[in-house]
Amino acid sequence: MVNLNAMGIIFSNMHDSVIPELTGHRTMASVPFASRYRLIDFVLSGMTIAGVQNVGVIVKKNYQSLLDHLGSGREWDLARKRGGLTIFPPSADSGYSYHGRIGALKGILPYIEDAKEKYVILADCDVVCDLDYAALVERHVASGAEVTIAYSKEKMTPALAKNNVSLSLAPSGRVRELLINDPQTGKRNLSMGIIVIAREQLVEIVRTGYAKGLLKFEQDILAKNLETMKVYGYEYTGYRSRIADMSSYFEANMQLLYLENLNRLFPEDRPVYTKVRDEAPVRYALDSKVKNCTVADGCIIEGEIENCVLFRGVHIGKGAVVKNCVLMQNTKVASGVRMDYVITDKDVRISEGQYLGGTKNFQVFVKKGSTV
Amino acid sequence: MKECIAMLLAGGQGSRLYALTQKLAKPAVPFGGKYRIIDFPLSNCVNSGIDTVGILTQYQPLVLNEYIGNGQPWDLDRLYGGVHVLPPYQKASGSDWYKGTANAIYQNINFIERYDPEYVLILSGDHIYKMDYSRMLTYHKEQGADCTIAVLEVPWAEASRFGIMTANAEGVITKFEEKPKEPKSNLASMGIYIFTWKKLREYLERDEADKNSENDFGKNIIPTMLGDGQRMCAYPFEGYWKDVGTIDSLWEANMDLLNPNVPLDVWDENWKIYSRTAGQPPHHISSQAHVENSMITEGCEVEGEVDFSVLFSNVKVRPGAVVRDSIVMPGCVIEEGAQVHYAILAENVVVRKGAIVGARPEHMEDLDKWGVAVVGADVTVGAGAKVGPKAMISEDVKEVL
Repeated sequence: MVNLNAMGIIFSNMHDSVIPELTGHRTMASVPFASRYRLIDFVLSGMTIAGVQNVGVIVKKNYQSLLDHLGSGREWDLARKRGGLTIFPPSADSGYSYHGRIGALKGILPYIEDAKEKYVILADCDVVCDLDYAALVERHVASGAEVTIAYSKEKMTPALAKNNVSLSLAPSGRVRELLINDPQTGKRNLSMGIIVIAREQLVEIVRTGYAKGLLKFEQDILAKNLETMKVYGYEYTGYRSRIADMSSYFEANMQLLYLENLNRLFPEDRPVYTKVRDEAPVRYALDSKVKNCTVADGCIIEGEIENCVLFRGVHIGKGAVVKNCVLMQNTKVASGVRMDYVITDKDVRISEGQYLGGTKNFQVFVKKGSTV
Repeated sequence: MKECIAMLLAGGQGSRLYALTQKLAKPAVPFGGKYRIIDFPLSNCVNSGIDTVGILTQYQPLVLNEYIGNGQPWDLDRLYGGVHVLPPYQKASGSDWYKGTANAIYQNINFIERYDPEYVLILSGDHIYKMDYSRMLTYHKEQGADCTIAVLEVPWAEASRFGIMTANAEGVITKFEEKPKEPKSNLASMGIYIFTWKKLREYLERDEADKNSENDFGKNIIPTMLGDGQRMCAYPFEGYWKDVGTIDSLWEANMDLLNPNVPLDVWDENWKIYSRTAGQPPHHISSQAHVENSMITEGCEVEGEVDFSVLFSNVKVRPGAVVRDSIVMPGCVIEEGAQVHYAILAENVVVRKGAIVGARPEHMEDLDKWGVAVVGADVTVGAGAKVGPKAMISEDVKEVL
C-alpha cells in the first residue's frame, strides 16, 4: 500500500431521510449493517486501505452514536498525529451552512485549505460497496478530469427514483447530462455519491458557490457547468447495495445470506474495519437449529434461526423460531417466540410466547429499546 | 507509585503441547474460539483494577510480543504503567536467560522498583480461569500476610499432581509439599501469589545468592519463607480453573466452554475476556449445514456438519465435511467430505477432500490407542489421507489416491 495523495470528506447525515425509522436517533453513517458494521465502516475502511490518511467526517445532527462508534479513529488506523480522523460537528455560527454539500464544506473550509493532499474524495454512506478508492483517484488523474463521479448501472426502483443523481455519458466517459431525481425507468447510471476533485479547485468552487447561494454541489455546480467543466464518470461494477428505503435496507442485509455475496463484499485482502466490542464467539446450544444465517459474535442461540442476519449480542431463547429477520445488537428473543420478517433495532426485547410477523415486502419494524 | 502490580510468567516452553508450541510460547496458544491463553490472566488483571503488568517472556517470544503490542486490546496502554514485555536482556556484566521463575522476577527488580509497589502479584500464563485479584489483595492485607497463595480444592485422587498446602483454621499455611505421593490436604496451589514487595525482594536477593537454588517460586522461595516462619496465607478460590499444559487438558478446557454446567462464562458482560482480534465479517452458516452445541466465531463459513466443536476465526467447513468433538484453530480449511474427530488442528491446517483426522473412541477396539489427534500449524493433510487417533503431526501428510 502506498499513501494516496488524497484526503477524504464524508457526509454522515446525507440521505438520512430515506430511512427515518433508523435515523431517528442516529446518522445515516451509523446505521448498523451486515451483522457487525455501520454504513460508514465501508467508506472509511475503503479509504484507509487505499492509503488515505486524512479523513474529515461532517456531522449535522443525531451524531452521538457516530461519535461513539468512531472514537479516535483507531480501528481504521486513523488515530494519527498527522492527518487522521477529524470530526466536524456544526458550530454555533453555522447558520444555514449545512444546507447542501457546498454549505457543509464552507463550514470546514479552513480544514480543507490547510490540508496537504492534492485531491479530495467526497463520499456519502448510503451505498455499501467494495470500491477501490486508489483506482478511482488514479483514473481521475489519468483522464485529466476536473471531477470524477463513481457510478453504477442500476435498475430504477420507485425508492431510487425519489433520491438519485443520474448521469448520461459520452463514449469517452465524460458526463453529458446530470439529472437530479431522474424519474426515467429502466437501467440508469446512478452516482454513488463518491466524487473526486482537486483540493484547490474544490476550495474555489465552495468559496464562489457559497457567495452566490449555490449550495448543492451536483445540482447547482456540476449539472449547470457540464459544457465547460470536465466531469467524468467512473463505473463501479463490483458488489453493492443501495440503501434507498427500509425495504432496500432489509434486502441489502438479506443478500448477504448468499455466501458468494458475502465474499464479494468482504474480500480477504480488503478487510472492513469496525469498532471492536470484545464479544465472545457465538454459542449454539444443544437443541439449536441454524440454517442460512450470518451471525456476529456475542450471540447465544438456543432456539431455531433460518434466513436471518444477527448483529452482536443477540440472544435467541429455547424453542423460539425466528425466520427471515434482521435483529440488531442486543436483541433478546425469549423462549417460545415466533418471528417472521421482522427488523428489530438495538436493545429490543421480545417477551415469551409472542408472535411477530411481517411479509417479504413489508417487514415489521421494532424501535430501539422497546419491549414487545 | 502503584499499590499493586502484576508480573506474568510467560516464558514456559509448553513442551507437553508438542506440535502446538513449536512456533509459539504456551501463553500464546489459541483458546476458546477467539482468545489466547494469556488473555485470561491479562483480562483478570484489568478487570481487577491492576493496570501495570510485566510479561516475562523467553521461549519463542515473537508471536507473543506481536500479540501483546502496546496492550491496547486489554486497555493496558497507559501513560504510567500499562503492559510491558520483559525478555531477558544484556547487562553490563553480561546477559542471562531466566534461570527459573524466581530468577525471572529477580532480573526485573528494577522494573518493579520504578512503580514502587507495596504488593506484587505473580501470575502464570498457562491457566484458564476468571478471578478477581482485588479480593485476594484485600484478603492479603486483612491477614497481614507476607505472602498469599491462591488455592483450590482438588479431588483427593488428583492431589499428588499439584503443589499441596496445609492451612490452619485462620488460613495460615503450615505446610507446603510439591507433588506429594501421600497428600495431607487437597488444597492445591494455583500458581497465583501476592507478595508484600519488600519481603519478596529480600527473599529474591537471598535466593539469588544461594548457588544451590533452582531459583523457582514453588521449589525455593515458598519453602524458604515458610521455613523462616513468615506469615503465609492460603486464599481459597471457588470457581473454574484449569491448567492447560497438556493436549488432553487443553482439549477439555475448550470443551468446557460448550458445557452449560461448567462455570466458565466468557459471555459475561461484567467480566469480559479481551483479546486482539483481526476483525472478520460475521460467520455464515449455509442452508445445508448442521451445527449443534458448538462455538463459532467471525470469518467462519460452515457448509458441512459441526458438532461439539470450537471453531476459531476464518475456519471453512465445506459441504459434506464433518467436524466433531474438535478444536479448529484460525484459518483452517476442512474440504468436502473430510472428517475431523477428537482432534486439535493448529492454525492454517488444510484437511483435503476425503481425508480423515482422528477417530471416535466408540469405534476403537483398543481404547489405549485412542486419544486426541493433533495437527501442527500450516500442515496440509492430503486428499484421502488418514491421521490416526493420538497422532502428533507437524509435517504435511501425502494424499492417498
